[in-house]
Amino acid sequence: MKKSSILGIVIIAVAICIIISTYADTSTYGSFNEAKNTHSELHVVGHLNKDKQLIYDAKKDANYFSFFMKDNKGEECKIVFTGTKPQDFERSEQIVLTGQMVGNEFHASKILMKCPSKYIQDKVEVTEANATKQASI
Amino acid sequence: MDIQYKGEHLLPGQLGQLFVILAFGSALFSAISYYFATVNKNQLDNSWRNLARYGYFINTLSVVGIGACLFYIIYTNLFEYHYAWAHSSRTLPVYYIISSYWEGQEGSFWLWGFWQAVLGNILIWKAKSWENPVMAVVALSQAFLASMLIGIEMFGTRVGSSPFILLRNAIEGPVFSRPDYLNYIKDGNGLNPLLQNYWMVIHPPTLFLGFASMVVPFAYAIAGLWQRRYKEWIKPAISYSLFAVMVLGTGIIMGSFWAYESLNFGGFWAWDPVENASFIPWLTLIGGVHVLIVYKNTGHSYFTAAFLVIISFILVLYASFLTRSGILGSTSVHAFTDLGMTWQLLVFLFAFIAISVWLFVTRWKELPITKKDEETYSREFWMFVGAVFLALSCLQLVIVTSIPVWNAIFGTKTAPPTEPVRLYNIVQSSFAVVITLLMGFAQFLKYKRSDATTFLIRSLVYLFFAALISAVIIVLSGLYHTHLVYMLVIFGSVYAVLANTKYLADIFKGKTKLVGSAVAHIGFALLLVGAVISTGTSRVITINNSGVGFGTEFEKVGNSRENLRLDFNTPTKIGVYTATYVGDSLNGPNHYFKVNYKRIDDKTGKVKENFTLLPNAQANRKMGLVSSPDTRHYVFKDMYSYVSIAWPMKFQDDQTAENEGHTEANEDKEYAKPVAHEMNIGDTIRYRAGLIILKALNKDAKVRDIPLAKNDVSVGAQLEVQSNGKVFTTEPVFMIKGGNKFDFSKKVDSADLKVRFSNILPEKGKLEITTYVKPEGEKPYIVIKAIEFPSINFFWSGTIIMVIGFLLSIFRRNKELKTA
Repeated sequence: MKKSSILGIVIIAVAICIIISTYADTSTYGSFNEAKNTHSELHVVGHLNKDKQLIYDAKKDANYFSFFMKDNKGEECKIVFTGTKPQDFERSEQIVLTGQMVGNEFHASKILMKCPSKYIQDKVEVTEANATKQASI
Repeated sequence: MDIQYKGEHLLPGQLGQLFVILAFGSALFSAISYYFATVNKNQLDNSWRNLARYGYFINTLSVVGIGACLFYIIYTNLFEYHYAWAHSSRTLPVYYIISSYWEGQEGSFWLWGFWQAVLGNILIWKAKSWENPVMAVVALSQAFLASMLIGIEMFGTRVGSSPFILLRNAIEGPVFSRPDYLNYIKDGNGLNPLLQNYWMVIHPPTLFLGFASMVVPFAYAIAGLWQRRYKEWIKPAISYSLFAVMVLGTGIIMGSFWAYESLNFGGFWAWDPVENASFIPWLTLIGGVHVLIVYKNTGHSYFTAAFLVIISFILVLYASFLTRSGILGSTSVHAFTDLGMTWQLLVFLFAFIAISVWLFVTRWKELPITKKDEETYSREFWMFVGAVFLALSCLQLVIVTSIPVWNAIFGTKTAPPTEPVRLYNIVQSSFAVVITLLMGFAQFLKYKRSDATTFLIRSLVYLFFAALISAVIIVLSGLYHTHLVYMLVIFGSVYAVLANTKYLADIFKGKTKLVGSAVAHIGFALLLVGAVISTGTSRVITINNSGVGFGTEFEKVGNSRENLRLDFNTPTKIGVYTATYVGDSLNGPNHYFKVNYKRIDDKTGKVKENFTLLPNAQANRKMGLVSSPDTRHYVFKDMYSYVSIAWPMKFQDDQTAENEGHTEANEDKEYAKPVAHEMNIGDTIRYRAGLIILKALNKDAKVRDIPLAKNDVSVGAQLEVQSNGKVFTTEPVFMIKGGNKFDFSKKVDSADLKVRFSNILPEKGKLEITTYVKPEGEKPYIVIKAIEFPSINFFWSGTIIMVIGFLLSIFRRNKELKTA
């Protein structure tokens, strides 16, 4: 067999591995209900319940932030985020959380929020807050 | 009903719009003329070519004209234009006007078009027999770019987005029904504070020069296929490709330096889709350069060489589609917002894909594809393998970054990986292992064919030494705690450095002349060493477990808590340092927090190191808090820190208010109720934060330049304040002037105290000192995060070495062009 054919087979094999591993590593968008039934991390999309209390007090704990979010199915859950409160969180229109349920609380490792841009009124911008685990490789 | 608006300056906009139309028309005209010049059978007839050149020159002038009009509009604050209103403000310094060019999509398209115009002129001057076909491609691309700026309705859809659109046409608002609406628009929105950074003045132009120069090797590859000149395009394409990867690489690293120095990403690379979009074409063109050299030397791998060069430019277009169409949506933090140009970007992309595919298909049978098998012990074969692996690593980036695109195509709802950084780091590192090893042992092989035994012995000896050295590095850096693949990257990189150094040594002995490639490879390997060690062993040193009161459920999860609160004037341990938040200051929009760090020897108690960092935050009423880190640089590590929460936060407009009319009464609100104490010399007052001792009286205290008449009295109370283990002295003054009592208070901010010498009570023989104490709990604080990045300097210095290597290679390849 020609070397180039061997190389070709290797390339195809690696390419397939990449695609499969990508597929295996992707996550899913779900609801709080689904989060309760799984142990893996997933993304939940929803919005902040502005009627309930947001807790962040750096005097007590600089790494504790909690709030209540309603997912797109209308279910509400208490969210706990280990980190500082993202700026302008109260103004967010939509929130995407990454994390999992711990008891009755959803522990978010990442908060991605969409704000009506304060910066340019006719645009929408996205900001991100990453929780604690930086560079954990 | 038409409204006659007052005070608008419409001329620069109309002139600019004229230039936009002219730029588009002339580029299209030039492309068509170059096409006819290329297919013209009569070699002596230059008329089409001359027409095409004029077209391109007019295009260049128009592009410069657009830039000049836009500059004028921003410089003179004509906020009737949306672009000036959205991206600038009256207070913006002149040098940041340049940055405001690339905050918007229109400005960045202009920048791209500007560089492409410059490169086109260089090609007209230099390309000789290649001018017609190459410039036909470049001019076509220029026409597409110009179309992005047109901004007028055609066939029911809007084509492009003009930088000269008026504010009243861009945004709806009741104010625009007034003819004098401009009186109500006092100022623009201002430039995003993150872009107000010197790196943002030079990073985008470099990056876009890199993007723009990708079109040149692409145009050569297309021209080679089109004109069936399969051999000749290689040499100029190598030079231009080297230039493109050098500039693009520099631009990417400048961006990561900007991220490291002024964003609070917590690092230099975050695998954000926007970052990936610029990195992907770089990888494929690096592969392309290697295969071009393989083809030049052996005649093998023609298809792969042409394919990689062509796909690199296609990926540039794909990257613009990803970042500018809004398709990334919520997966990216800093993609541009959608301007409704999705279809136009897709047409741009598919037009060039179609041209490339059509040429490959029609020329397929003629392509110089060799049937002979490659030599295993030749450098070319392994260069080829390396290039293929670069392309595969790129494939992974493309697939993961494009998840939103797959969702749009297949209607699925897949979310991106939950830990994308970890995924990218591991997969890309695996490729890096293969590539660095190839970078090493390919240097022991000769071009075409080399002796198998000497090669094997040599490479094994070097492998052995590389293993020893990398073991030492891994142990010293603490990398053994991490994933195996990172250790392998170190091993591969060390091997690549050793092999290429050996190769360099041979060069100085006069055996070979390829200095550039060896230097670039060493630089790249060092860059990887820096990236892996600093990412793998970076450590948050503000870990804090002092949180109380949120229930045990929360504590149990074992979350690491990486933010630490620093109270004003309260020394706190951070890693090996003792950090104290000692003050803050405002400078323009920047709110600087002064944090003092001391490294104290545990045994002797001596201060070994003492420095102050000024991380800052911009409190912008429109943007919220935007924080920038401040970093202490050492040779082998950096200590990086930023403020995420600050209390109280000061705004720039507060400051102005303060300067204009700050009343005493207002200030006193910060303090608890004043307490008057009757004292004698030597008496002590105890207060919340310490002690105040009246040491002595100063009988002729001076207060600024207040002149004292004969009967006037001015007495200073010399007080010693002890607070938090520190001793301060202060002297409030009591004065009787012209029969009236005055007093001049003194503040000791570090002791939360203000003191007044409020009265003298001669009947009691006592003095009255009034104290104002800041209530506890109202102490200012900041919440900071500090990270140690070891070996990051390898990353930066590796980059510089790599760029030098590219430069050397370009010089050498150009020499080849001249002698050939």
